[in-house]
Amino acid sequence: MRKCFTIWIFIPLLTFTACVDEEEFPDTPQGNFEALWKIIDEHYCFFDYKQREYGLDWNNIFNIYKVRARNEADKYQLFEVLTDMLAELRDGHVNLYSSFDNGRYWSWHEDYPTNFSDTLQRKYLGIDYHIASSMRYRILDDNIGYMYYGSFSNPVSDSGLNEILRYFAFCNGLIIDIRSNGGGDLTNAEQLAARFCNEKTLVGYLRHKTGKGHNDFSELEPQYIEPSANLRWQKGTVILTNRGVYSAANDFVKYMKCFPLVKIVGDQTGGGAGMPYTSTLPNGWTVRFSACPSFDKDCKEVEFGIPPDYYVSMTDDDFRHGKDSLIEFARKLLAE
Amino acid sequence: MKDKLLTLFLTLTPLSTVAQESTSANIIGVGQSRILDTYINQEKYSGTGFTYLYIKEHARLNRRWNSILEHEADLSTTKDRSRDNQMIEGNYFLYWGLYRHWQFFGDRLLIQAGGLANANLGFLYDTTSSNNPAQGRFSMNLMPAAVATYHFPLFGKQFTLRYELNVPLVGVMFSPNYGQSYYEIFNRGNYDHNIVPTTFVSAPSFRQVATIEWRTSEKWSLRVGYLGNYQQAHVNNLKQHVYAHRVMIGIVHHFTKTIRP
Repeated sequence: MRKCFTIWIFIPLLTFTACVDEEEFPDTPQGNFEALWKIIDEHYCFFDYKQREYGLDWNNIFNIYKVRARNEADKYQLFEVLTDMLAELRDGHVNLYSSFDNGRYWSWHEDYPTNFSDTLQRKYLGIDYHIASSMRYRILDDNIGYMYYGSFSNPVSDSGLNEILRYFAFCNGLIIDIRSNGGGDLTNAEQLAARFCNEKTLVGYLRHKTGKGHNDFSELEPQYIEPSANLRWQKGTVILTNRGVYSAANDFVKYMKCFPLVKIVGDQTGGGAGMPYTSTLPNGWTVRFSACPSFDKDCKEVEFGIPPDYYVSMTDDDFRHGKDSLIEFARKLLAE
Repeated sequence: MKDKLLTLFLTLTPLSTVAQESTSANIIGVGQSRILDTYINQEKYSGTGFTYLYIKEHARLNRRWNSILEHEADLSTTKDRSRDNQMIEGNYFLYWGLYRHWQFFGDRLLIQAGGLANANLGFLYDTTSSNNPAQGRFSMNLMPAAVATYHFPLFGKQFTLRYELNVPLVGVMFSPNYGQSYYEIFNRGNYDHNIVPTTFVSAPSFRQVATIEWRTSEKWSLRVGYLGNYQQAHVNNLKQHVYAHRVMIGIVHHFTKTIRP
Protein backbone atom coordinates (compact mmCIF):
# COMPACT_ATOMS: atom_id res chain seq x y z
CA MET A 1 0.00 0.00 0.00
CA ARG A 2 2.83 2.38 0.93
CA LYS A 3 4.61 1.60 -2.41
CA CYS A 4 1.41 2.25 -4.26
CA PHE A 5 1.03 5.69 -2.69
CA THR A 6 4.68 6.52 -3.49
CA ILE A 7 4.07 5.78 -7.18
CA TRP A 8 0.92 7.83 -7.05
CA ILE A 9 2.70 10.84 -5.64
CA PHE A 10 5.73 10.87 -7.96
CA ILE A 11 4.37 9.94 -11.38
CA PRO A 12 1.80 12.76 -11.48
CA LEU A 13 4.43 15.20 -10.20
CA LEU A 14 6.76 14.25 -13.06
CA THR A 15 3.89 14.50 -15.48
CA PHE A 16 2.81 17.94 -14.28
CA THR A 17 6.30 19.36 -14.54
CA ALA A 18 7.06 17.92 -17.99
CA CYS A 19 5.03 19.96 -20.46
CA VAL A 20 5.97 19.22 -24.06
CA ASP A 21 5.92 22.66 -25.62
CA GLU A 22 7.58 24.73 -28.35
CA GLU A 23 8.92 28.26 -28.39
CA GLU A 24 6.54 30.76 -29.98
CA PHE A 25 7.72 33.81 -31.84
CA PRO A 26 5.66 37.01 -31.66
CA ASP A 27 3.53 37.93 -34.66
CA THR A 28 5.68 40.93 -35.58
CA PRO A 29 7.90 41.39 -38.65
CA GLN A 30 10.93 40.50 -36.55
CA GLY A 31 9.11 37.51 -34.99
CA ASN A 32 7.98 36.21 -38.38
CA PHE A 33 11.47 36.67 -39.76
CA GLU A 34 13.02 34.72 -36.90
CA ALA A 35 10.36 32.00 -37.09
CA LEU A 36 11.01 31.54 -40.81
CA TRP A 37 14.79 31.50 -40.39
CA LYS A 38 14.47 28.87 -37.63
CA ILE A 39 12.09 26.63 -39.61
CA ILE A 40 14.54 26.57 -42.51
CA ASP A 41 17.55 26.26 -40.21
CA GLU A 42 16.14 23.16 -38.52
CA HIS A 43 14.50 21.42 -41.48
CA TYR A 44 16.10 22.40 -44.79
CA CYS A 45 18.14 19.54 -46.25
CA PHE A 46 20.68 21.04 -48.70
CA PHE A 47 22.78 23.41 -46.55
CA ASP A 48 25.95 21.38 -46.80
CA TYR A 49 25.65 20.76 -50.54
CA LYS A 50 24.89 24.40 -51.33
CA GLN A 51 27.65 25.61 -49.08
CA ARG A 52 30.03 23.57 -51.24
CA GLU A 53 28.41 24.63 -54.53
CA TYR A 54 28.14 28.39 -54.06
CA GLY A 55 29.11 29.23 -50.47
CA LEU A 56 25.66 29.40 -48.85
CA ASP A 57 26.05 30.42 -45.19
CA TRP A 58 22.66 30.38 -43.45
CA ASN A 59 23.95 31.99 -40.25
CA ASN A 60 25.32 34.88 -42.26
CA ILE A 61 21.99 35.15 -44.11
CA PHE A 62 20.33 35.75 -40.72
CA ASN A 63 22.59 38.73 -40.02
CA ILE A 64 22.12 40.18 -43.51
CA TYR A 65 18.32 40.02 -43.54
CA LYS A 66 17.63 40.71 -39.85
CA VAL A 67 18.29 44.42 -40.38
CA ARG A 68 15.79 44.48 -43.27
CA ALA A 69 13.00 42.84 -41.25
CA ARG A 70 12.26 45.96 -39.20
CA ASN A 71 9.20 45.98 -36.99
CA GLU A 72 7.97 49.07 -38.88
CA ALA A 73 7.80 47.09 -42.15
CA ASP A 74 4.33 46.58 -43.61
CA LYS A 75 3.25 43.14 -44.80
CA TYR A 76 4.31 43.78 -48.40
CA GLN A 77 7.78 44.90 -47.37
CA LEU A 78 8.11 41.97 -45.00
CA PHE A 79 7.01 39.56 -47.73
CA GLU A 80 9.69 40.94 -50.03
CA VAL A 81 12.40 40.59 -47.39
CA LEU A 82 11.41 37.03 -46.51
CA THR A 83 11.15 36.02 -50.18
CA ASP A 84 14.57 37.50 -50.87
CA MET A 85 16.00 35.58 -47.94
CA LEU A 86 14.49 32.31 -49.18
CA ALA A 87 15.81 32.97 -52.69
CA GLU A 88 19.32 32.64 -51.25
CA LEU A 89 18.60 28.90 -51.11
CA ARG A 90 18.24 28.78 -54.93
CA ASP A 91 15.58 26.14 -54.63
CA GLY A 92 12.37 25.89 -56.66
CA HIS A 93 10.80 23.87 -53.85
CA VAL A 94 11.10 26.84 -51.50
CA ASN A 95 8.08 29.12 -51.56
CA LEU A 96 6.33 31.59 -49.33
CA TYR A 97 2.55 31.77 -49.68
CA SER A 98 0.48 34.71 -48.51
CA SER A 99 -3.03 35.80 -49.40
CA PHE A 100 -1.63 38.38 -51.86
CA ASP A 101 1.39 36.68 -53.47
CA ASN A 102 3.47 33.53 -53.86
CA GLY A 103 7.15 34.08 -53.14
CA ARG A 104 9.30 31.95 -55.43
CA TYR A 105 12.70 31.29 -56.91
CA TRP A 106 12.25 30.26 -60.53
CA SER A 107 15.66 31.07 -61.98
CA TRP A 108 16.25 27.35 -62.45
CA HIS A 109 14.08 27.59 -65.59
CA GLU A 110 13.51 31.32 -66.19
CA ASP A 111 17.23 31.91 -66.84
CA TYR A 112 17.31 29.35 -69.66
CA PRO A 113 15.65 28.87 -73.04
CA THR A 114 12.36 27.00 -72.85
CA ASN A 115 13.21 24.58 -75.67
CA PHE A 116 9.54 23.80 -75.92
CA SER A 117 6.72 25.27 -77.96
CA ASP A 118 3.14 24.14 -77.69
CA THR A 119 2.55 25.69 -81.10
CA LEU A 120 5.08 23.30 -82.61
CA GLN A 121 3.86 20.42 -80.51
CA ARG A 122 0.41 20.90 -82.01
CA LYS A 123 1.90 20.29 -85.46
CA TYR A 124 3.03 16.84 -84.32
CA LEU A 125 0.00 15.89 -82.24
CA GLY A 126 -2.55 17.35 -84.65
CA ILE A 127 -6.10 17.33 -83.35
CA ASP A 128 -6.87 13.64 -83.58
CA TYR A 129 -4.46 12.49 -80.88
CA HIS A 130 -5.56 10.21 -78.04
CA ILE A 131 -5.64 10.92 -74.32
CA ALA A 132 -5.22 8.22 -71.68
CA SER A 133 -3.66 8.19 -68.22
CA SER A 134 -3.31 11.98 -68.47
CA MET A 135 -1.06 11.55 -71.54
CA ARG A 136 -1.59 12.81 -75.08
CA TYR A 137 -0.28 10.35 -77.61
CA ARG A 138 -0.19 9.41 -81.28
CA ILE A 139 1.99 7.61 -83.83
CA LEU A 140 4.13 9.96 -85.94
CA ASP A 141 4.38 9.38 -89.68
CA ASP A 142 7.77 7.59 -89.44
CA ASN A 143 6.17 4.99 -87.16
CA ILE A 144 7.60 6.47 -83.96
CA GLY A 145 5.29 6.67 -80.97
CA TYR A 146 4.99 10.07 -79.29
CA MET A 147 3.44 10.77 -75.90
CA TYR A 148 3.33 13.97 -73.87
CA TYR A 149 2.98 13.94 -70.09
CA GLY A 150 2.63 17.49 -68.78
CA SER A 151 2.42 16.93 -65.03
CA PHE A 152 3.13 14.08 -62.65
CA SER A 153 0.28 15.45 -60.54
CA ASN A 154 -2.07 13.94 -63.12
CA PRO A 155 -2.80 10.31 -62.26
CA VAL A 156 -1.66 7.39 -64.38
CA SER A 157 -3.45 4.06 -64.39
CA ASP A 158 -2.24 0.58 -65.27
CA SER A 159 -5.11 0.06 -67.68
CA GLY A 160 -4.36 3.38 -69.40
CA LEU A 161 -0.66 2.56 -69.76
CA ASN A 162 -1.58 -0.86 -71.14
CA GLU A 163 -3.73 0.78 -73.80
CA ILE A 164 -1.01 3.27 -74.74
CA LEU A 165 1.72 0.63 -75.03
CA ARG A 166 -0.59 -1.70 -76.96
CA TYR A 167 -1.32 1.16 -79.38
CA PHE A 168 2.43 1.70 -79.87
CA ALA A 169 3.21 -2.05 -80.09
CA PHE A 170 4.30 -1.97 -83.76
CA CYS A 171 6.20 1.32 -83.54
CA ASN A 172 9.97 1.42 -84.07
CA GLY A 173 10.58 3.49 -80.97
CA LEU A 174 8.95 5.76 -78.43
CA ILE A 175 9.38 9.43 -77.53
CA ILE A 176 8.21 10.45 -74.05
CA ASP A 177 8.03 14.22 -73.95
CA ILE A 178 8.05 15.58 -70.40
CA ARG A 179 9.28 19.09 -71.20
CA SER A 180 8.00 21.68 -68.71
CA ASN A 181 6.66 18.92 -66.48
CA GLY A 182 7.03 20.55 -63.05
CA GLY A 183 6.57 17.35 -61.06
CA GLY A 184 3.82 15.94 -58.87
CA ASP A 185 3.39 12.54 -57.32
CA LEU A 186 6.48 10.34 -57.13
CA THR A 187 4.38 7.18 -57.31
CA ASN A 188 3.20 8.21 -60.79
CA ALA A 189 6.84 8.54 -61.87
CA GLU A 190 7.61 5.10 -60.44
CA GLN A 191 4.55 3.53 -62.05
CA LEU A 192 5.50 4.86 -65.49
CA ALA A 193 9.20 3.97 -65.13
CA ALA A 194 8.29 0.39 -64.19
CA ARG A 195 7.03 -0.09 -67.77
CA PHE A 196 10.62 0.25 -69.03
CA CYS A 197 12.27 -1.95 -66.42
CA ASN A 198 13.00 -5.66 -66.88
CA GLU A 199 14.70 -6.39 -63.58
CA LYS A 200 14.83 -4.85 -60.15
CA THR A 201 17.08 -1.84 -60.72
CA LEU A 202 18.85 0.49 -58.32
CA VAL A 203 17.87 4.00 -59.40
CA GLY A 204 18.96 6.18 -56.49
CA TYR A 205 19.06 6.81 -52.79
CA LEU A 206 16.91 8.65 -50.26
CA ARG A 207 17.51 9.92 -46.78
CA HIS A 208 15.87 12.23 -44.29
CA LYS A 209 16.78 14.49 -41.43
CA THR A 210 16.90 12.96 -37.96
CA GLY A 211 17.46 16.16 -36.01
CA LYS A 212 17.84 19.92 -36.11
CA GLY A 213 21.54 20.00 -37.07
CA HIS A 214 22.39 20.79 -40.68
CA ASN A 215 24.06 17.39 -41.06
CA ASP A 216 21.71 15.24 -38.97
CA PHE A 217 20.70 12.69 -41.60
CA SER A 218 19.61 9.07 -41.63
CA GLU A 219 21.52 6.40 -43.51
CA LEU A 220 21.09 6.40 -47.29
CA GLU A 221 18.25 4.10 -48.27
CA PRO A 222 18.43 2.59 -51.77
CA GLN A 223 15.60 3.28 -54.20
CA TYR A 224 14.67 0.47 -56.57
CA ILE A 225 12.32 0.26 -59.51
CA GLU A 226 10.79 -3.17 -59.99
CA PRO A 227 9.43 -4.38 -63.35
CA SER A 228 5.74 -3.82 -63.88
CA ALA A 229 3.64 -6.99 -64.02
CA ASN A 230 1.77 -5.42 -66.96
CA LEU A 231 2.88 -4.64 -70.51
CA ARG A 232 6.48 -3.41 -70.68
CA TRP A 233 8.20 -1.49 -73.49
CA GLN A 234 11.18 -3.32 -75.02
CA LYS A 235 12.35 -0.96 -77.76
CA GLY A 236 14.34 2.22 -77.90
CA THR A 237 12.97 5.17 -75.93
CA VAL A 238 13.88 8.84 -75.87
CA ILE A 239 12.92 11.17 -73.03
CA LEU A 240 12.71 14.85 -74.04
CA THR A 241 13.72 17.27 -71.31
CA ASN A 242 14.16 20.97 -70.73
CA ARG A 243 14.90 23.18 -67.73
CA GLY A 244 11.23 23.04 -66.77
CA VAL A 245 11.52 19.36 -65.81
CA TYR A 246 11.45 19.54 -62.04
CA SER A 247 10.81 17.59 -58.85
CA ALA A 248 9.03 14.28 -59.55
CA ALA A 249 9.76 14.74 -63.27
CA ASN A 250 13.44 15.14 -62.36
CA ASP A 251 13.16 11.88 -60.42
CA PHE A 252 11.56 10.21 -63.43
CA VAL A 253 14.59 11.17 -65.56
CA LYS A 254 16.84 9.87 -62.78
CA TYR A 255 15.03 6.51 -62.93
CA MET A 256 14.94 6.29 -66.71
CA LYS A 257 18.67 6.99 -67.04
CA CYS A 258 19.26 3.63 -65.40
CA PHE A 259 17.61 1.63 -68.19
CA PRO A 260 19.80 0.60 -71.16
CA LEU A 261 17.34 1.31 -74.00
CA VAL A 262 16.55 4.83 -72.80
CA LYS A 263 18.28 8.03 -73.90
CA ILE A 264 17.73 11.55 -72.56
CA VAL A 265 17.59 14.32 -75.19
CA GLY A 266 17.24 18.06 -74.73
CA ASP A 267 18.50 20.36 -72.01
CA GLN A 268 19.57 19.66 -68.44
CA THR A 269 16.58 19.20 -66.16
CA GLY A 270 15.66 21.88 -63.64
CA GLY A 271 16.38 19.70 -60.61
CA GLY A 272 14.42 19.75 -57.36
CA ALA A 273 15.70 16.71 -55.50
CA GLY A 274 14.29 17.55 -52.09
CA MET A 275 10.88 16.29 -51.11
CA PRO A 276 9.07 19.41 -49.91
CA TYR A 277 7.38 19.99 -46.55
CA THR A 278 5.33 22.95 -45.41
CA SER A 279 5.03 24.92 -42.21
CA THR A 280 3.41 28.20 -41.19
CA LEU A 281 4.56 31.48 -39.68
CA PRO A 282 2.93 33.35 -36.79
CA ASN A 283 1.11 35.62 -39.27
CA GLY A 284 -0.38 32.63 -41.11
CA TRP A 285 1.85 32.68 -44.20
CA THR A 286 2.85 29.23 -45.36
CA VAL A 287 6.41 28.29 -46.21
CA ARG A 288 7.40 25.30 -48.35
CA PHE A 289 10.92 23.93 -48.28
CA SER A 290 13.00 20.89 -49.30
CA ALA A 291 13.15 18.39 -46.44
CA CYS A 292 14.19 14.92 -47.73
CA PRO A 293 17.05 14.80 -50.22
CA SER A 294 17.35 12.20 -52.95
CA PHE A 295 20.39 11.18 -54.99
CA ASP A 296 21.08 9.27 -58.19
CA LYS A 297 22.31 5.68 -58.33
CA ASP A 298 25.91 6.85 -57.88
CA CYS A 299 24.95 8.89 -54.77
CA LYS A 300 25.45 12.12 -56.70
CA GLU A 301 23.30 15.19 -56.08
CA VAL A 302 20.57 15.91 -58.63
CA GLU A 303 19.22 19.01 -56.86
CA PHE A 304 20.47 21.27 -59.66
CA GLY A 305 19.38 18.98 -62.47
CA ILE A 306 20.39 15.98 -64.56
CA PRO A 307 22.35 16.45 -67.79
CA PRO A 308 20.93 14.77 -70.90
CA ASP A 309 22.76 12.16 -72.96
CA TYR A 310 22.42 14.51 -75.94
CA TYR A 311 22.23 18.29 -75.50
CA VAL A 312 19.82 19.56 -78.14
CA SER A 313 18.31 23.05 -78.28
CA MET A 314 15.47 24.42 -80.33
CA THR A 315 16.87 26.34 -83.32
CA ASP A 316 15.30 29.40 -84.89
CA ASP A 317 15.63 27.80 -88.30
CA ASP A 318 13.69 24.70 -87.24
CA PHE A 319 11.11 26.87 -85.52
CA ARG A 320 10.55 28.87 -88.71
CA HIS A 321 10.07 25.64 -90.61
CA GLY A 322 7.58 24.32 -88.09
CA LYS A 323 9.91 21.69 -86.74
CA ASP A 324 10.66 20.85 -83.13
CA SER A 325 14.45 20.34 -83.04
CA LEU A 326 14.26 17.96 -80.07
CA ILE A 327 11.54 15.75 -81.56
CA GLU A 328 13.36 15.64 -84.88
CA PHE A 329 16.62 14.65 -83.17
CA ALA A 330 14.83 11.95 -81.20
CA ARG A 331 13.26 10.52 -84.36
CA LYS A 332 16.64 10.26 -86.03
CA LEU A 333 18.17 8.69 -82.95
CA LEU A 334 15.42 6.06 -82.77
CA ALA A 335 15.72 5.33 -86.49
CA GLU A 336 19.44 4.48 -86.15
CA MET B 1 -26.84 -42.14 -20.38
CA LYS B 2 -27.40 -38.54 -21.45
CA ASP B 3 -29.49 -37.86 -18.34
CA LYS B 4 -26.82 -39.40 -16.12
CA LEU B 5 -24.13 -37.18 -17.62
CA LEU B 6 -26.30 -34.11 -17.12
CA THR B 7 -26.91 -35.07 -13.49
CA LEU B 8 -23.17 -35.58 -12.95
CA PHE B 9 -22.39 -32.16 -14.53
CA LEU B 10 -24.94 -30.38 -12.35
CA THR B 11 -23.62 -32.16 -9.26
CA LEU B 12 -20.04 -31.09 -9.97
CA THR B 13 -20.96 -27.48 -10.83
CA PRO B 14 -21.06 -25.20 -7.76
CA LEU B 15 -24.54 -23.95 -7.17
CA SER B 16 -23.46 -20.82 -5.34
CA THR B 17 -23.90 -17.49 -7.14
CA VAL B 18 -22.38 -14.02 -6.76
CA ALA B 19 -24.02 -10.66 -7.26
CA GLN B 20 -22.21 -8.40 -9.71
CA GLU B 21 -22.85 -4.69 -9.59
CA SER B 22 -22.26 -2.85 -12.81
CA THR B 23 -22.57 0.68 -14.05
CA SER B 24 -22.42 1.89 -17.59
CA ALA B 25 -22.08 5.58 -18.33
CA ASN B 26 -22.70 7.28 -21.66
CA ILE B 27 -21.29 10.79 -21.56
CA ILE B 28 -20.75 13.51 -24.14
CA GLY B 29 -18.63 16.59 -23.80
CA VAL B 30 -17.60 19.79 -25.46
CA GLY B 31 -14.70 22.11 -24.79
CA GLN B 32 -11.36 23.44 -25.87
CA SER B 33 -8.63 21.53 -27.72
CA ARG B 34 -5.06 22.78 -28.00
CA ILE B 35 -2.71 21.08 -30.44
CA LEU B 36 1.00 21.13 -31.23
CA ASP B 37 2.78 18.76 -33.60
CA THR B 38 6.16 19.92 -34.82
CA TYR B 39 6.21 17.25 -37.55
CA ILE B 40 3.42 19.17 -39.29
CA ASN B 41 3.99 22.68 -38.01
CA GLN B 42 5.76 24.79 -35.40
CA GLU B 43 2.60 26.76 -34.68
CA LYS B 44 0.03 25.82 -32.03
CA TYR B 45 -3.60 25.34 -32.86
CA SER B 46 -6.68 25.78 -30.68
CA GLY B 47 -10.39 25.31 -31.16
CA THR B 48 -13.46 23.40 -30.15
CA GLY B 49 -13.60 19.68 -29.62
CA PHE B 50 -16.24 17.10 -28.88
CA THR B 51 -15.91 13.89 -26.93
CA TYR B 52 -17.96 10.77 -26.42
CA LEU B 53 -17.03 8.72 -23.36
CA TYR B 54 -18.37 5.32 -22.39
CA ILE B 55 -17.40 3.85 -19.02
CA LYS B 56 -18.41 0.39 -17.88
CA GLU B 57 -17.45 -0.79 -14.39
CA HIS B 58 -18.00 -4.23 -12.87
CA ALA B 59 -17.67 -4.96 -9.15
CA ARG B 60 -18.38 -8.33 -7.58
CA LEU B 61 -19.56 -8.22 -4.01
CA ASN B 62 -17.07 -9.57 -1.48
CA ARG B 63 -14.26 -9.35 -4.03
CA ARG B 64 -11.30 -6.95 -3.77
CA TRP B 65 -10.90 -6.48 -7.52
CA ASN B 66 -13.16 -4.93 -10.09
CA SER B 67 -12.78 -4.14 -13.77
CA ILE B 68 -13.28 -1.09 -15.93
CA LEU B 69 -13.68 -0.58 -19.68
CA GLU B 70 -13.67 2.85 -21.31
CA HIS B 71 -14.08 4.06 -24.88
CA GLU B 72 -13.24 7.67 -25.61
CA ALA B 73 -13.63 9.31 -29.02
CA ASP B 74 -12.49 12.89 -29.65
CA LEU B 75 -12.94 15.14 -32.66
CA SER B 76 -11.70 18.73 -32.85
CA THR B 77 -11.41 21.49 -35.41
CA THR B 78 -8.74 24.02 -34.56
CA LYS B 79 -7.03 27.06 -36.05
CA ASP B 80 -3.67 28.70 -35.58
CA ARG B 81 -3.37 32.17 -34.10
CA SER B 82 -3.66 33.84 -37.50
CA ARG B 83 -7.02 32.01 -37.90
CA ASP B 84 -6.01 31.32 -41.54
CA ASN B 85 -4.90 27.71 -41.15
CA GLN B 86 -7.00 24.82 -39.91
CA MET B 87 -6.12 21.52 -38.25
CA ILE B 88 -8.56 18.66 -37.69
CA GLU B 89 -7.84 16.18 -34.92
CA GLY B 90 -9.45 12.82 -34.23
CA ASN B 91 -8.56 10.27 -31.58
CA TYR B 92 -9.98 7.07 -30.22
CA PHE B 93 -8.82 5.67 -26.87
CA LEU B 94 -9.61 2.25 -25.45
CA TYR B 95 -8.91 1.64 -21.76
CA TRP B 96 -9.30 -1.66 -19.98
CA GLY B 97 -8.07 -2.35 -16.50
CA LEU B 98 -8.38 -3.87 -13.07
CA TYR B 99 -8.66 -2.01 -9.78
CA ARG B 100 -8.22 -3.15 -6.23
CA HIS B 101 -10.52 -1.25 -3.94
CA TRP B 102 -10.58 -0.11 -0.35
CA GLN B 103 -13.59 1.23 1.51
CA PHE B 104 -13.47 3.90 4.20
CA PHE B 105 -16.07 5.55 6.43
CA GLY B 106 -18.37 2.58 6.11
CA ASP B 107 -19.05 2.40 2.39
CA ARG B 108 -19.13 6.16 1.73
CA LEU B 109 -15.60 6.49 0.37
CA LEU B 110 -14.27 4.01 -2.14
CA ILE B 111 -10.65 4.21 -3.24
CA GLN B 112 -9.63 2.13 -6.24
CA ALA B 113 -6.08 1.78 -7.55
CA GLY B 114 -4.72 -0.42 -10.27
CA GLY B 115 -3.63 -0.46 -13.85
CA LEU B 116 -5.05 0.14 -17.28
CA ALA B 117 -4.03 -1.08 -20.69
CA ASN B 118 -4.58 1.68 -23.23
CA ALA B 119 -4.65 1.68 -27.03
CA ASN B 120 -4.91 4.89 -29.04
CA LEU B 121 -5.55 5.42 -32.73
CA GLY B 122 -5.81 8.89 -34.19
CA PHE B 123 -4.87 11.48 -36.77
CA LEU B 124 -4.09 15.13 -37.32
CA TYR B 125 -4.91 16.74 -40.64
CA ASP B 126 -3.69 20.19 -41.64
CA THR B 127 -6.09 21.37 -44.32
CA THR B 128 -3.71 24.00 -45.72
CA SER B 129 -0.60 21.87 -46.10
CA SER B 130 -0.07 19.97 -49.33
CA ASN B 131 3.10 17.96 -48.79
CA ASN B 132 3.04 16.81 -45.17
CA PRO B 133 -0.59 17.45 -44.25
CA ALA B 134 -1.29 14.56 -41.92
CA GLN B 135 0.08 12.75 -38.94
CA GLY B 136 -1.08 9.31 -37.83
CA ARG B 137 -1.29 8.38 -34.19
CA PHE B 138 -0.99 4.92 -32.72
CA SER B 139 0.14 4.02 -29.23
CA MET B 140 -0.27 1.42 -26.53
CA ASN B 141 0.42 2.07 -22.86
CA LEU B 142 0.34 0.51 -19.46
CA MET B 143 -1.06 3.10 -17.10
CA PRO B 144 -1.26 3.27 -13.31
CA ALA B 145 -4.76 4.47 -12.54
CA ALA B 146 -6.89 5.35 -9.55
CA VAL B 147 -10.47 6.27 -8.83
CA ALA B 148 -11.90 7.91 -5.72
CA THR B 149 -15.66 7.75 -5.24
CA TYR B 150 -17.51 9.48 -2.42
CA HIS B 151 -21.24 8.99 -1.76
CA PHE B 152 -23.15 11.61 0.23
CA PRO B 153 -26.75 12.69 0.77
CA LEU B 154 -27.89 16.23 0.02
CA PHE B 155 -31.43 17.59 0.26
CA GLY B 156 -32.67 14.03 0.68
CA LYS B 157 -31.04 12.88 -2.56
CA GLN B 158 -28.03 10.66 -3.08
CA PHE B 159 -25.01 12.21 -4.75
CA THR B 160 -21.66 10.76 -5.75
CA LEU B 161 -18.37 12.52 -6.38
CA ARG B 162 -15.99 10.59 -8.61
CA TYR B 163 -12.42 11.40 -9.58
CA GLU B 164 -10.38 9.23 -11.95
CA LEU B 165 -6.69 9.72 -12.73
CA ASN B 166 -4.61 7.89 -15.37
CA VAL B 167 -0.93 8.42 -16.18
CA PRO B 168 1.22 6.36 -18.53
CA LEU B 169 4.08 4.29 -17.17
CA VAL B 170 5.50 2.53 -20.23
CA GLY B 171 4.32 1.97 -23.76
CA VAL B 172 5.08 2.11 -27.44
CA MET B 173 4.00 4.61 -30.05
CA PHE B 174 4.23 5.15 -33.78
CA SER B 175 6.10 8.21 -34.97
CA PRO B 176 7.86 9.17 -38.20
CA ASN B 177 11.44 10.22 -37.63
CA TYR B 178 12.24 13.94 -37.43
CA GLY B 179 12.13 14.70 -41.16
CA GLN B 180 11.00 11.34 -42.48
CA SER B 181 8.19 11.38 -45.01
CA TYR B 182 5.22 9.04 -44.99
CA TYR B 183 6.24 8.19 -48.57
CA GLU B 184 9.47 6.68 -47.21
CA ILE B 185 7.65 4.73 -44.50
CA PHE B 186 4.69 3.37 -46.40
CA ASN B 187 5.67 3.45 -50.09
CA ARG B 188 9.32 2.43 -49.71
CA GLY B 189 9.08 0.56 -46.42
CA ASN B 190 12.06 2.40 -44.92
CA TYR B 191 11.90 1.88 -41.15
CA ASP B 192 13.71 4.39 -38.94
CA HIS B 193 12.74 4.22 -35.25
CA ASN B 194 9.08 4.43 -36.17
CA ILE B 195 7.92 2.25 -33.29
CA VAL B 196 9.26 4.06 -30.25
CA PRO B 197 9.26 2.75 -26.68
CA THR B 198 7.88 5.45 -24.37
CA THR B 199 7.85 6.15 -20.64
CA PHE B 200 6.22 8.80 -18.50
CA VAL B 201 9.34 10.91 -19.22
CA SER B 202 9.18 10.85 -23.05
CA ALA B 203 5.38 10.71 -23.19
CA PRO B 204 4.21 12.55 -20.06
CA SER B 205 0.52 12.26 -20.77
CA PHE B 206 -2.12 12.60 -18.11
CA ARG B 207 -5.87 12.10 -18.01
CA GLN B 208 -8.40 13.00 -15.35
CA VAL B 209 -12.17 12.78 -15.06
CA ALA B 210 -13.97 14.61 -12.22
CA THR B 211 -17.73 14.21 -12.03
CA ILE B 212 -20.66 14.64 -9.73
CA GLU B 213 -23.57 12.26 -10.06
CA TRP B 214 -27.17 12.61 -8.94
CA ARG B 215 -28.97 9.34 -8.36
CA THR B 216 -32.36 10.08 -9.85
CA SER B 217 -33.74 6.57 -9.39
CA GLU B 218 -32.63 3.13 -8.34
CA LYS B 219 -31.30 2.40 -11.83
CA TRP B 220 -30.40 5.78 -13.29
CA SER B 221 -28.12 8.69 -12.48
CA LEU B 222 -27.29 11.97 -14.11
CA ARG B 223 -23.55 12.66 -14.30
CA VAL B 224 -21.87 16.00 -15.06
CA GLY B 225 -18.22 16.93 -14.80
CA TYR B 226 -14.89 17.63 -16.42
CA LEU B 227 -12.63 15.50 -18.58
CA GLY B 228 -9.05 16.55 -19.10
CA ASN B 229 -7.00 14.46 -21.49
CA TYR B 230 -3.48 15.80 -21.96
CA GLN B 231 -1.58 13.70 -24.50
CA GLN B 232 2.08 14.59 -24.87
CA ALA B 233 5.16 13.06 -26.45
CA HIS B 234 8.71 14.08 -27.26
CA VAL B 235 10.18 11.35 -29.46
CA ASN B 236 12.45 11.33 -32.55
CA ASN B 237 13.18 15.02 -31.86
CA LEU B 238 9.52 15.78 -32.54
CA LYS B 239 7.22 17.43 -30.04
CA GLN B 240 3.50 16.88 -29.90
CA HIS B 241 0.63 17.57 -27.56
CA VAL B 242 -3.14 17.46 -27.67
CA TYR B 243 -4.76 19.05 -24.63
CA ALA B 244 -8.49 18.33 -24.47
CA HIS B 245 -10.64 20.10 -21.87
CA ARG B 246 -14.26 19.03 -21.87
CA VAL B 247 -17.41 19.82 -19.92
CA MET B 248 -19.22 16.50 -19.76
CA ILE B 249 -22.81 15.45 -19.24
CA GLY B 250 -24.35 12.00 -19.43
CA ILE B 251 -26.42 9.28 -17.90
CA VAL B 252 -25.39 6.30 -15.82
CA HIS B 253 -27.22 3.00 -15.72
CA HIS B 254 -26.83 0.92 -12.53
CA PHE B 255 -27.73 -2.73 -12.58
CA THR B 256 -27.06 -5.86 -10.57
CA LYS B 257 -26.95 -9.32 -11.99
CA THR B 258 -26.36 -12.69 -10.45
CA ILE B 259 -23.62 -14.78 -11.98
CA ARG B 260 -21.90 -18.07 -11.24
CA PRO B 261 -18.38 -17.37 -9.97
